[in-house]
Amino acid sequence: MNQAKKNSLDEVGKRSYSSFARVNGEHPFKSQVPGGRVEYKARYKKGGKVAFFNFDLAKEMGLISKSHLHQLNPDLEREILETFSIVIINEYDVINKIKFPEDEILPNTFMATRYLQLQHPDKCGRTSGDGRSIWNGTIRSNGVTWDISSCGTGATKLSPASNLNKKFYQTGDPSISYGCGLSEVGEGLETLFFSEVLGKNGFKTERVLAIIEFEKGLSINVRANPNLLRPSHFFGHLKQGNLKTLKNVADYHIARQIENKQWSQTTFKNDKEKYFYLAHQVAKCFAETAAKFEDEYIFCWLDWDGDNILMDGGIIDYGSIRQFGLFHAEYRYDDVQRFSTSILEQKLKAKYIVQCFVQIADFLTTGKKKSLSQFKHHEVIKYFDKHFTDCKERNLIQKIGFKKNQQELVLKNHKDLVTRFRKTFTYFERAKSRKGIYKVADGVTRDAVFCMRDILREYPQLYLTRQSPLSHMEFMEVIKSSYAKKGDLKLTELRKKQINRFQNSYMALVSAVEKESHQNRSQLLLELTMRSSIINKYDRVTGDSITYIVQKVQKLRPKLNADELFKLAQEFSSYQNLDPDQKKISNEVLPRHKNIMQNIYSIVRECREGI
Amino acid sequence: MKLVFYSGGHDKENLSLDKNFIELIGKKNPVVSFIPSSSYLSEQEFKVFVKHYSKFKISRFIHFPVDVPFDRIMFQEVMRSDAIHMGGGNTFYFLHSLRKAKLLKDLKSFAEKGGVLTGLSAGAIMMTENIEMAAYPDFDRDENNVGIKNLSALNLVDFCFFPHFKNSSRYDAVFKKYSKIKNKIIYACPDGAGIVVNGQELRFVGKTFAFSDGHKFSIN
Repeated sequence: MNQAKKNSLDEVGKRSYSSFARVNGEHPFKSQVPGGRVEYKARYKKGGKVAFFNFDLAKEMGLISKSHLHQLNPDLEREILETFSIVIINEYDVINKIKFPEDEILPNTFMATRYLQLQHPDKCGRTSGDGRSIWNGTIRSNGVTWDISSCGTGATKLSPASNLNKKFYQTGDPSISYGCGLSEVGEGLETLFFSEVLGKNGFKTERVLAIIEFEKGLSINVRANPNLLRPSHFFGHLKQGNLKTLKNVADYHIARQIENKQWSQTTFKNDKEKYFYLAHQVAKCFAETAAKFEDEYIFCWLDWDGDNILMDGGIIDYGSIRQFGLFHAEYRYDDVQRFSTSILEQKLKAKYIVQCFVQIADFLTTGKKKSLSQFKHHEVIKYFDKHFTDCKERNLIQKIGFKKNQQELVLKNHKDLVTRFRKTFTYFERAKSRKGIYKVADGVTRDAVFCMRDILREYPQLYLTRQSPLSHMEFMEVIKSSYAKKGDLKLTELRKKQINRFQNSYMALVSAVEKESHQNRSQLLLELTMRSSIINKYDRVTGDSITYIVQKVQKLRPKLNADELFKLAQEFSSYQNLDPDQKKISNEVLPRHKNIMQNIYSIVRECREGI
Repeated sequence: MKLVFYSGGHDKENLSLDKNFIELIGKKNPVVSFIPSSSYLSEQEFKVFVKHYSKFKISRFIHFPVDVPFDRIMFQEVMRSDAIHMGGGNTFYFLHSLRKAKLLKDLKSFAEKGGVLTGLSAGAIMMTENIEMAAYPDFDRDENNVGIKNLSALNLVDFCFFPHFKNSSRYDAVFKKYSKIKNKIIYACPDGAGIVVNGQELRFVGKTFAFSDGHKFSIN
């Protein structure tokens, strides 16, 4: 391997995959935020094989042509390996004067970025950041600049292990796990299957571009997103009171958002307006994300360091991400030294992150770092609270099955009805098992007893056919989950009232839309029946199901090549696409995948109410 | 009994069968339940089903997948509906799911009590004595991926039904041979054709072929 990449030529002598050459370690963050990264020389890592390549994403990013077949060819495979199969030459290598063949060393440096991480003893971000990742670079296509980074490219000095033990580690050092700088195929697959499904269902998320496999199940997992910056990239410098670097990060981020047309306002009268607009954007994104996480039962360990989430509220690092089947509001991940936040605490953490951005805006404007508590009641925080509630209400009427224009009508003219329905919906959604809190494999939980997806899916059909509400007993029969025991299903007076309220307020919403949209009730209920049967699909993926699916896929992997894995991921995400407005759905499953997919469906079904 | 056997094909091709179906229901604003052969993407199938039958002024539908657990309330509502339609797909998987959900007896009783039962392709085969037809001919058969051995189905009629029939010597040879072994007549319907059973009356809609005792006959 030479630093000048071998050119793959097509018949007319033109390089077939020239876009890959642009991904070479160069990244604007390096020059614009010099205090925000550590640079490493890197070398080609031999022995890699492309286990997965995301053809759809590569097309979106302009790495391959729109008409490219969903098949790897030797030229493409070579380009992927030459671009992404790399490992850094780290401090351990330099200190120990480890020699590498000259022709394997790449010409450019690759950066590991600095960001705040709770696990580090200094808790100020001086030592933390990308511990086993580097940023491969950027690529611009169709007006969007994409960041690309790779995990498993060697141990950096920013890993928790390096700082806790005060030493530099050799990449692959077997004495430590997380700090050894490597990653595994399983991690890549978990991110792949989860992110493709969540991406299809409207979540902002990192996506897997490629998985390069090495011996012993090790891998380099390549991720991409239009902006891979996290709040923690700001927070380290904020904690340290490092105004200069903080300003650099903020300006870099703002430029990227404007470049990618993510912001409606692109010019500002002064710094104050600019930085408070940034805080406002963070409030908007985090209110939307926190509401969506809560409503779709996404467990994402948000904490004050903001390292498990992207600046736009997108998901990054699927290691601790889960989707629950029910509202298991008391699940907490056990991270040995401490328990994680619960799903209901995510909103508070999101709000805290927003508050930090108000503090940042003020710091950048005045040059003085004030106490965070001073911003507790800031206008931006009030906006966050209001927007969060608005998003919750919109999410709920979307889940009922109302179309976009109907949602607008209801929110504009009948918000009180939505609020009323939300109250009773929440009553059932948050009902907990009498069993109490108990231990699970990776933490603690307490079961939710009702399945709201079931009632939202079945209620319009049942009302439509009977033209009358359900009795209390029937309602309980439909809504009860497999976790519900006899004691959880007692028909108390309060519960009976809530059942009546649920049905009355549901039908009040239907009546309101009926009048506003001049549709008859049957037509509207039928429309809700069809839409909610997709939105509230019986078998929706959960965190546990993803784990089991990945185990299954890994067992099959020796027989699944990269093209087949891509097709399988496509089939799976298409099956889990819960968008009722999707134009066309591909239901073609490769004949040889039918058995695998059947297995996958069974797993999803079996785990559908779990964590 | 009131049954409609659909072979397959596009909406327009099945217009005559649909008219027969509506006539059999004989009621304004009926409730029609749709049982897909598999829940996989059946929500989309249901959408298409609803869109199609809405043209006949039907507005009350139930989507009832049987390879996933269901509650008693939905089940009761399905059994109270005026018509039940069983969708197409893999016949073996469909039978396996119906049996696992213990629904064969209920569907049989639904039809015997006068409910209109219809089926398309796999769903139509389900109304016959067994689903052996799904394994014929070798070059055009469903895969028995679920490995079921007991192929007995609803047994509502005393004929065999073969959907998606293509009028060719290849098919003829297979069915002539098969009809010699079996005592039952095989009705083979191309897409768009089908059979309507109303009590003792048997009505053939579209071009249908019959195989019996090694011979082929053309009906209509």
